[in-house]
Amino acid sequence: MPALLVLAACGGQGADSAETAADGRQAAEKVTVAHAQGNTDVPKNPQKVVVFDVGVLATLDELGVKVAGVPAVENLPDHLAKYAGDEYTKVGSLFEPDYEKVNALEPDLIIVAARSAAAYGELAKIAPTVDLSVDFSDFLGSFRRRIEALGTIFGKEAEVKQRLDAIDAAVQEAKAKADDRTGLIVLTTGGKMSAYGPGSRFGLIHDVIGVKAADPNIKADTHGEAITAEFIAKADPDILYVIDRDSAIGENGEAAQKVLDNALVNGTKAAKNDKIVYLEPFTWYVAPNALSSVENMVKAVGDSLS
Amino acid sequence: MTRRRSAGRLRAWHLAAGVALLTALAAASLLVGVGDVTPAGLLGGRDEDLHLLVESRLPRLLAVLLAGTAMSVAGLVMMHITGNRFVSPSTAGTTESATLGVLVATLFAGGEAVIVKMALAVACALLGTFVFMTILRRLTFRDMILVPLVGIMFGGVIGAATTFVAYRYDLLQTLGAWTSGDFSAVLRGRYELLWLAGGVTLLGYLYADRFTVAGMGRSFAINLGVRYDRVVNAGLVLASVITAVVVVTVGEIPFVSLIVPNLVTLALGDNLRYALPATALAGAFFVLLCDVAGRLIRFPYEIPVSTVLGVVGSAIFLVLLLRGGRRMGVR
Repeated sequence: MPALLVLAACGGQGADSAETAADGRQAAEKVTVAHAQGNTDVPKNPQKVVVFDVGVLATLDELGVKVAGVPAVENLPDHLAKYAGDEYTKVGSLFEPDYEKVNALEPDLIIVAARSAAAYGELAKIAPTVDLSVDFSDFLGSFRRRIEALGTIFGKEAEVKQRLDAIDAAVQEAKAKADDRTGLIVLTTGGKMSAYGPGSRFGLIHDVIGVKAADPNIKADTHGEAITAEFIAKADPDILYVIDRDSAIGENGEAAQKVLDNALVNGTKAAKNDKIVYLEPFTWYVAPNALSSVENMVKAVGDSLS
Repeated sequence: MTRRRSAGRLRAWHLAAGVALLTALAAASLLVGVGDVTPAGLLGGRDEDLHLLVESRLPRLLAVLLAGTAMSVAGLVMMHITGNRFVSPSTAGTTESATLGVLVATLFAGGEAVIVKMALAVACALLGTFVFMTILRRLTFRDMILVPLVGIMFGGVIGAATTFVAYRYDLLQTLGAWTSGDFSAVLRGRYELLWLAGGVTLLGYLYADRFTVAGMGRSFAINLGVRYDRVVNAGLVLASVITAVVVVTVGEIPFVSLIVPNLVTLALGDNLRYALPATALAGAFFVLLCDVAGRLIRFPYEIPVSTVLGVVGSAIFLVLLLRGGRRMGVR
């Protein structure tokens, strides 16, 4: 679907959209960005950008956009490791901004999402701020609108369109492979397990690609539902998707493999058919809203269905 | 620890009734879980039922019984050696110290065997408890309420240090995951360390008479020819080891070590020979009841036993304070 059409459709519903508003009286061109917490006029091609979200940071990096301020994050993956360096001002943590540092930077644009969304109100007093949180109940749709907003702000519309179209194609391809097989999403941390279902932060597997949920009753809760190995044995999924939270944050605690290596899990169809899929923790847990993350997520689920 | 009410005596039939009740609950708990285990299937020797029983249900039951027994006995022993009803591993900084030990072990020996983790947890728990005892000896007012308050503050300081370290290393959520007491991860091969806590608990029984005497105060105990310091130290080691083992294997089990010994000594008096087996039974029963409830409330998902214990335990503790406070010498 052409990007313009999507924009028009969204604008018509008054929902999230990104459109250019030519302002004749001012020299600097502005765009109005519809985001998770309202509409904000932001300058086109802003020079000083502060980003609080790793997913958005990764996306801007891929689009070749320079940023000025980033949160202090330990254990960034290799391709983002440079942002831990001193040339990028550390403007706080993923959750909590350091307002003085943000203020001192005099940014043209501040971008928050998910973990930092609560700081929106305070940050908006400093500079134009947009909240690019994705909505897990409409993951792909809201993701597309957020990425398109970034494309519009930074004048990367063509590149964004090309990559989003490629994702759409990959989704269709993966969907075609989703047959009657069931999947169960499990996150492990500190030796314990919780299950996630449709509509959750990992719901892309069920909602977008269409893998059947082994247990349709799991609530879409941020922290999942505490489960036992018996639960996995009973659900007996064809594919077990595993996110190792501890390795996502660089901790070498009880690895997911160790937690899941027990007689009950080993008896499931997923284990017998070698379909316990360990999802890349950074992509799925830390930055699921990055352009490359969604590409990788769709690919990973597609591969698991082959 | 003066008592104004004559204590009931534990008779053999009390103990027998307790064991019978616990056995019944234990048997019932074997049938509670996500997988299908039925009495008929077990008696008929159905493979799937037996498999689940051996891999999951029986280990979980044993883990609950061992942890419940050990924690309540640790509480009883600490209550005696400090001569204060409200001192338990959770109100003397022992639990928090053990948790700090696990965190340090996770940070610096993450890949090491669990035994290293436990050694560090035991060492930290011991150190923390001894520091608390040192503070206690310097207190002029050894009020029934003041002492545990000091202990809670001390534990708070250690807890704050733990939180700070965890925060610096981005481990807060992980810390939360493994400190909340929870038997959901227990399977065959995942709980066996708890037998160590069980063994130490048995040792406590051998020392019971001496703990009783130590509970009557330093000079009294020395007059009776008991090596007071040695007995107190033995008690501290016992409580610390039990707490550390439980924290490492299943997480913090709140309230049990505080409420169960109090309820039991209210009913039976302070002689540990009687109170110990009753406390062990009651502790096991209490934790098992809460664990089964946690498994049933949101079936097929779980509520951690620590959450259930927190709710039930705080309610009981309030009743204890408000109703029994006068009897226990608290104004």
